[in-house]
Amino acid sequence: MSGRATLRVALVTLLLLLLQSTVILSIRIGSTHPDILWLLPITAALLAGPETGAIVGFWSGLAFDLVLPTPFGLGALVGSLLGYSIGAATAAVDKRAVWLKPVAAVIGSVAADMLFSVLGAIFGQQQMVQVDFLSLFVIVAVSSALLVLPVNRLMRWAFFAEGNRRTLVSAHSPEGGIW
Amino acid sequence: MVVLVVLSLSIVSLDLNGRTHSVTSGVKSVANGVFSPLRHAVTDILSPIGDFFAGAVHYGSLQSENQKLQATVASLHQAQAENAFEKNQLRQLMALNDLPFLDSLPTVTAQTQELDSSNFTMTITIDKGRSDGVDVGMPVVGGGGLVGEVIQSFHHTSVVRLVNDGQSKVGVTFGQTQSHTATVDGQGPASSMTADLVPPHTPLHKNEVMYTSGFNAAAFPPGIPVAKVTSFHTSPGASQVTIAVAPEATLSQLAYVDVVLWEPPA
Repeated sequence: MSGRATLRVALVTLLLLLLQSTVILSIRIGSTHPDILWLLPITAALLAGPETGAIVGFWSGLAFDLVLPTPFGLGALVGSLLGYSIGAATAAVDKRAVWLKPVAAVIGSVAADMLFSVLGAIFGQQQMVQVDFLSLFVIVAVSSALLVLPVNRLMRWAFFAEGNRRTLVSAHSPEGGIW
Repeated sequence: MVVLVVLSLSIVSLDLNGRTHSVTSGVKSVANGVFSPLRHAVTDILSPIGDFFAGAVHYGSLQSENQKLQATVASLHQAQAENAFEKNQLRQLMALNDLPFLDSLPTVTAQTQELDSSNFTMTITIDKGRSDGVDVGMPVVGGGGLVGEVIQSFHHTSVVRLVNDGQSKVGVTFGQTQSHTATVDGQGPASSMTADLVPPHTPLHKNEVMYTSGFNAAAFPPGIPVAKVTSFHTSPGASQVTIAVAPEATLSQLAYVDVVLWEPPA
């Protein structure tokens, strides 16, 4: 990842962090709300592979840990594991498949929430397994399936903005053959 | 990948270790100081739009809710007047026992900024922090009873763990002479709270209110209503009564709360 791409990923993370702690928090059914944090490592892994997915998962998880009352570092741990797993599991899959992003988002988000709560309990936060898992998984799955495409678009911009511009420039430049 | 996992585990260990927790809480405090105004600005921009649509859709129900609230306020005024005499007597009795009465303790009123920021904890974020005298361990009251306890305190904001969170435990007294004791345990959002350590045959009745005990080294001053009994039974051979309780405070409506500037005795 170039320096500019890293900066754009940080910007996308900040945007999602703001959305999560304002708009998303107000969308709640009972005491459960969607978790859009996990969409960052999932989309990063789908776009750039397991290593990048793990790195984005680590830093975005750490950013979310800063504003959550759960143990500091837990989001980073789950985020990096999630990014790597999604990247590795979809390495052999055609990335243009229409079903891939929603399926990866649903499975990844639900698995990440489960891992987050179990690891939290292992680290002594017993209350983290005292939640209504059924409603949590349903809400997180539905919201992730709906939001994965816009987040993927943002992440694609973050990773490939320069590449896209270069492609456009070369396509319209004398070397590109248009002129 | 392995490096990231090891790094994450190290950070978690730092956070959970009592001696190094101050490092991670310091980082969180700085981040909160930067992030809070941003979040505030976004909320200020978005909330009028949301309120407009919510108001348009729920106009009828809001009107009837307003009428109900006015009736509740009127009955509370009446109850307050009736209780003044008893309250005075209780204050005198408490003074005799050298126990702080809640009314004599200073409080800071705070506005709730965020409700349950994580799906895995029952917390609220309030707009008062260390600069207002709010510190970790202070009790928070409102909505008719004990709301919870401050677990994180930043410069201008604090995080309050609600009484129904799975980590919450409150020592309480109940009964006509407040001679019986129990521990009210939060069970998270999926289950109702319980009152534990009550031996069989202890006189109990439905809707009985349990108050903070304030005994030695208690985390809360005495006399704050915590929960009321919703059901109870004793299983054959059990060593304690199984008691389900509901929080006295209306935890779903906590726009404003009071932080009691009281710290547990060392």
